[in-house]
Amino acid sequence: MLHIGNEYIPLCSGTNRRSFLQLGAAAMTGMTLANFYKLNAAGAVDEKKAKIRNCITLFLVGSPGQHDTWDMKPDAPEDVRGKFKPISTSVPGVQICEHFPRMAKVMDKVALIRSLHYNTGSSHENGQRWMMTGHDFNAANKQPFMGSVISRVFGPKGDLPASIVLPVGIGNTGTSTPHGQESAFLGSAHAPFFLGSDPARADFKVADLEPPKGQTEFRVEARRKLLTEIDEVQRQVETSSTLERDTAYARAFNLLTNPTTKKAFDLNEEPAKLRDRYGRNTFGQSCLMARRLIERGSRFVTVNQFDTVFGISCWDMHADGGSLNNTYADYEHVLCPQFDLAFTALLEDLQQRGLLEETVIAVISEFGRTPKLNARGGRDHYPSVWTNFLAGGPIRGGRVIGSSDKIGAAPHDRPVTPPQVVASIYQAMGIDLETTMLPGPGGRPIRFIEAEPIRELFS
Amino acid sequence: MDQKLEGKPSASLRLDGRKVTRSEITNHWGTRLQWKISRDGKEIAAVTAGPEPVFEHADAAPGKYEIVLQQFHYVGYAKDKDGKFTTSKYVDISEPVTYTV
Repeated sequence: MLHIGNEYIPLCSGTNRRSFLQLGAAAMTGMTLANFYKLNAAGAVDEKKAKIRNCITLFLVGSPGQHDTWDMKPDAPEDVRGKFKPISTSVPGVQICEHFPRMAKVMDKVALIRSLHYNTGSSHENGQRWMMTGHDFNAANKQPFMGSVISRVFGPKGDLPASIVLPVGIGNTGTSTPHGQESAFLGSAHAPFFLGSDPARADFKVADLEPPKGQTEFRVEARRKLLTEIDEVQRQVETSSTLERDTAYARAFNLLTNPTTKKAFDLNEEPAKLRDRYGRNTFGQSCLMARRLIERGSRFVTVNQFDTVFGISCWDMHADGGSLNNTYADYEHVLCPQFDLAFTALLEDLQQRGLLEETVIAVISEFGRTPKLNARGGRDHYPSVWTNFLAGGPIRGGRVIGSSDKIGAAPHDRPVTPPQVVASIYQAMGIDLETTMLPGPGGRPIRFIEAEPIRELFS
Repeated sequence: MDQKLEGKPSASLRLDGRKVTRSEITNHWGTRLQWKISRDGKEIAAVTAGPEPVFEHADAAPGKYEIVLQQFHYVGYAKDKDGKFTTSKYVDISEPVTYTV
């Protein structure tokens, strides 16, 4: 039976059947939607009644080629199979690229999805929207980022934002269309917190957690009080957007002035040996910070491995000789080793701390890459099939879901779409998609996503 | 935002016959590691250094061997027309060990 919200297992401070009925009454008496949200924000997560899990998403911006990573085709012609060789893993019959030797040892914890595909365009932004939200859309009809949905549904746990993006948001990846990391109709209160700097740098500071130059924390607090007074006046002419800003301001001030939240971002508290285990690079230290933030109460942490595909070493291996000149050399010397080290460190670290069971790890990318090497020895965008994977939480590792054909050009069996992956992440985090709905634009209850979770991930 | 690898990785090597064992790497950049093998002063091989810390070079031709651990230092992704990195390169992260066959 489909409910608007979940009356019997109130997951969160979010919406349940009863609260939606209250919303209906409130609307008749003139209460704004934002005010309704605000009232809900005062609620508490009842974790005793539902198993709520966290999620760390590693977003491989640029997108690795399936043939060169997790769906190798050693028997295909040379211009398809590429340069790298497969190695065996801890799961009999499952092979991955030779440049992931550590990952090969923990494949029993990983569920590969080798038949992911879509057919609505092949720009990076297309793939980002699909994989960050489970929808494709345009700027006029934005859909919320998974992290914003989680923020709205579960609310914050402690003083940290429910959704945090590390190290920075996605910037220029080719077109000026949305990247899918916005809160959209859920409002600014559920926008992710963007770290905004590189945690691997020796001079790392979280820009938003430092009082502006020349201001002491006392002055910041004084400003907060002043703003509160102004807000009281403003409430007389309030709109939904000002109320959303209430939460955003409160969150910003809390981050700025709370020593505990500031410490959450301090990697110097971690043993040097552990920092080395993750790799002293932007991605590795972001993964370590993701674990710290989850451990300290954030619910959904996203690591954007890159913020652009131009002029840097990233997965976007066009080998064009210009600003998109990533090649096998980048994969071999930089990208695969750094991923292998950081991903396995994260898995091990979460497991050792007893956090892996309550934390889903989603490794996702925008699309795959062309089966046949281009004239320069690179591979171009290819959304017709690729491989992503999940681990942790209730995800059953050591399995491969779906397959691609002999040359990695199309799904061979069990085709999977991006919304199914997003639905699986929601389910793995503890949202019952059959019995819970999300407040959509204008408060209209909507399904989280028009797709079913991938059942084989859980059985 | 391009990554900037700071500090300098370091490991120590221990030689037991022809078998080389490396320590944990401090300030690990996460990039590829390799064993660089020279014989009589000339580089003869560069072999991927995997997660296992022990390495033994198979070549037993007579000569004086030197083995050093290297890591790829990513500075930028620029490459020449042959696809070789122009600014990024392998750097030694250990003192060499030597033995004679």
